[in-house]
Amino acid sequence: MAAIALDQVDKIYPNGVHAVRGVSLDIRDGEFMILLGPSGCGKSTSLRMIAGLESVTRGTISIGGRVVNDVDPADRDIAIVFQNYALYPHMTVAQNLAFGLKLRRVGRDEIDRRIARIAETLGIGELLLRKPRELSGGQRQRVALGRALVREPKAFLLDEPLSNLDAKLRASMRTELIKLHRQLGTTIVHVTHDQVEAMTMGQRICIMRDGIVVQAGAPMAVYREPVDTFVAGFLASPPMNLLAGRLEPLPHGGLAATMGGLSLALPQAQASLVHRHAGGEVIIGLRPEDFHLSPERGLAVDAHVVAIEVLGPEVILVASLGHPGNPEIMIRCPRGFTARPDERLTFYYDPHEVHLFDAATKRALARPSRRD
Amino acid sequence: MARTEIDRADARFGWMMTAPALAILFLVILFPVCWALFTSVHDYTLLNPHFDSFTGLENFRHAITDPEFRHSLRLTAFFVVAVVLLEFLLGFLVALMLNTVERMKPVYYGILLCPLLMNPVIVGLIWRMFLHPSLGIVNYLLGVVGIAPVNWLGSTKVALWTIVMVDIWHQVSFMVVLLLAGLSALPREPYEAARVDGANALQSFWHITLPLMLPIIMVTLLIRLIFAVRTYDLIYIMTRGGPGVSTDLVSYFIYRTAFVSLNIGEASAMAIVLMGIVLLLTAFLYRYMRSLT
Repeated sequence: MAAIALDQVDKIYPNGVHAVRGVSLDIRDGEFMILLGPSGCGKSTSLRMIAGLESVTRGTISIGGRVVNDVDPADRDIAIVFQNYALYPHMTVAQNLAFGLKLRRVGRDEIDRRIARIAETLGIGELLLRKPRELSGGQRQRVALGRALVREPKAFLLDEPLSNLDAKLRASMRTELIKLHRQLGTTIVHVTHDQVEAMTMGQRICIMRDGIVVQAGAPMAVYREPVDTFVAGFLASPPMNLLAGRLEPLPHGGLAATMGGLSLALPQAQASLVHRHAGGEVIIGLRPEDFHLSPERGLAVDAHVVAIEVLGPEVILVASLGHPGNPEIMIRCPRGFTARPDERLTFYYDPHEVHLFDAATKRALARPSRRD
Repeated sequence: MARTEIDRADARFGWMMTAPALAILFLVILFPVCWALFTSVHDYTLLNPHFDSFTGLENFRHAITDPEFRHSLRLTAFFVVAVVLLEFLLGFLVALMLNTVERMKPVYYGILLCPLLMNPVIVGLIWRMFLHPSLGIVNYLLGVVGIAPVNWLGSTKVALWTIVMVDIWHQVSFMVVLLLAGLSALPREPYEAARVDGANALQSFWHITLPLMLPIIMVTLLIRLIFAVRTYDLIYIMTRGGPGVSTDLVSYFIYRTAFVSLNIGEASAMAIVLMGIVLLLTAFLYRYMRSLT
């Protein structure tokens, strides 16, 4: 087991592409860390640099306190699971599992013992004599995982291992990976572009964009306090609604976030933190799940129904806030909710859940520390 | 399933479209083969070019017991094995090296393909000039570094190896191109997995490249083998089977039997034997390729 540390890491490819820019990240020993971001954000490159499959242009990477920039992948004692599994196509499952151990001169008996144990854990016992092409996607995925597990490395690097699986299988593999991590307690770095994976699996999420770490933290912390509109618009499904608006002073003091016919008075604590933006343009962030139908929490907002998407467990309402024709937003409503297009509804929004972002920099404006 | 009128119309149209090509194929391939078969069971010589004496398998018996024919078969077997093996080893080495090249690849390709684009007769003539015992550039260059001149084509010990060498020069690119195509189609991921698993370059080659390349290697070897069995032009231009019979490959020997000894009947029998061997190799190749899909 080992901690992994990236310190001011840069990756510039020979063709000049600057894939990773000054990434610093401390992954604790035994931590389940998620690297999350859209494709091309540098998350896979970062993972491959940790594995040693890509060289580091600047900065240092250390595993277990040892700088590994110039250490061969074989000597880093890490295992990687690739997106497309990268099984050895000409070897049986058992041979695939044994290959790394054989190269490390592990004894035959020990190899057999470990394969038996892994096969049992992953439920691939009856597949041991088959070739990869005779396996389904999910089975291949398990074998790839088994090949990583059987080596008992210091850390696991997972490069979008679930993205080729169908939705149902992906959900069950998510749970299995979480269980596995709890059993083994080994450091895991998991790269994904799927925010559901990130939220459900990670102990911490590191969100990347354009080669830069935008925000790192526990899933709920990142969800609650996104540092900018990118993070706010990336996490959760449907993501936070982002609306261009203004910060207007109220006649009796205090501030309100306003946009086309809509005015949300900010709580005093928040207003005092952002008062220097008074009169200026801001981006207002409203979470779809923070709209309520009952008036006991929050301020009334008018919504003009555009469309309604019934998902089963919940209903997503597409509506314009304030005046009809304003930008459309998503509102998450409970099961059984119905509405007709063009209907005018009143929702209630908790002003403590209003997020404000600088219109120019897109960075979050200060918010009072949470009550709960 | 019952054939409908549309199916039958399709079939008729198909036959109509392929008929001209089929007719030409029959004319230029099947007819000569049948003619050779017919000739091989007659005592047909150019001194007496008539199918008037049927001899049955006599020509075959004579050919198979002929020490010269057996010698040329053995020589051909040796030549084929030497040429194919050396070309494979050299070709695979070059292909592996070229596979890691990223810049100027088309330039290397172009240079490599040059010999392959040349007619074997031209290749033979060029090398005959290069290898001329007293006027050739090869012996001159050897002389520059103080090595005694070699009688490349005139010595019974050296001549076959000289032909092998020229054939390698001419045909090695074929191996390179085919093997390189195979190598560049290999997936990259297993190599990365192997690197993390702890394999060095040699172990990656042995445990991943070789097994994954095996089908392509087999097909390349067999195709080259079949072509090498038929080698004729180089011999005709460079040695005429000589000195003595030291480079008397079977294709050239058959030619001599037919057009020097004028014994078309026996030459046909030999050609049928050779065709049988090539056919066996081809059948094996075909079945192997089928087994891969």
